[in-house]
Amino acid sequence: MVEVEGSDSYLIRPNHQHKFKPTIVKEYIHEILRERLSGVLYDPESVPELTRSLAEAVKDKVKNAGFDKYKLIVQVIIGEQRGQGVKMSSKCLWDADTDNYAADVFMNESLFCLVAVFGSYYY
Amino acid sequence: MDDYLTDEQTVFDVDDVNKIIKDTLETVIGENSYKHSRVNQWSTNVVEQCLLRLSKLGKPYKYIVNCFIMQKNGAGQQTATSYFWDNSSDGSCMVKWEKDSMYVQVSVFGLAI
Repeated sequence: MVEVEGSDSYLIRPNHQHKFKPTIVKEYIHEILRERLSGVLYDPESVPELTRSLAEAVKDKVKNAGFDKYKLIVQVIIGEQRGQGVKMSSKCLWDADTDNYAADVFMNESLFCLVAVFGSYYY
Repeated sequence: MDDYLTDEQTVFDVDDVNKIIKDTLETVIGENSYKHSRVNQWSTNVVEQCLLRLSKLGKPYKYIVNCFIMQKNGAGQQTATSYFWDNSSDGSCMVKWEKDSMYVQVSVFGLAI
């Protein structure tokens, strides 16, 4: 006797319209960063709030783009530009058919900002 | 049916993951100082080894491992993460590791299947 949890669909693969599209998400990230960070200088007092609100803004925008059955993780890193070396790398153990990520970098003279969005399909 | 997952297996164990990350960092980077030519290799190795050890835990989770290495030269840095997931089964673990010449931050996100 098989018991099934109450869910409204048995889709184990998203259909094409609802698939996480990295190019579109990257566009969103790029727009938000350009809008909110152009001309901004690194200020240790205001940066924590700025990173938090950027993460929320990107998450909301991607959520509203229609990737319904996706769990999202948005990571934002803002650092001061002082000529230091920086490296960020990621590796994921997931279902390559359904899951994907998008990332973008914004730089101006006083700061750099890295945003990475990971989308994982919820079966 | 008895082979459905029980509750113990669908909780993200932060302590275990924390230990895995710290061990991996000690093994891969250890006491080395920041060297631009080796950073690529370090960050790839850290991420790969963390993922291998996480997959050995055998839990029904998808993992995302992120490694951020920054040279210390007086610059400031802030990270923020925002998630849209299931709080009861998913979790994250972030480890900040500071050395004299560099600053390493590893984040692991676990999403239940």
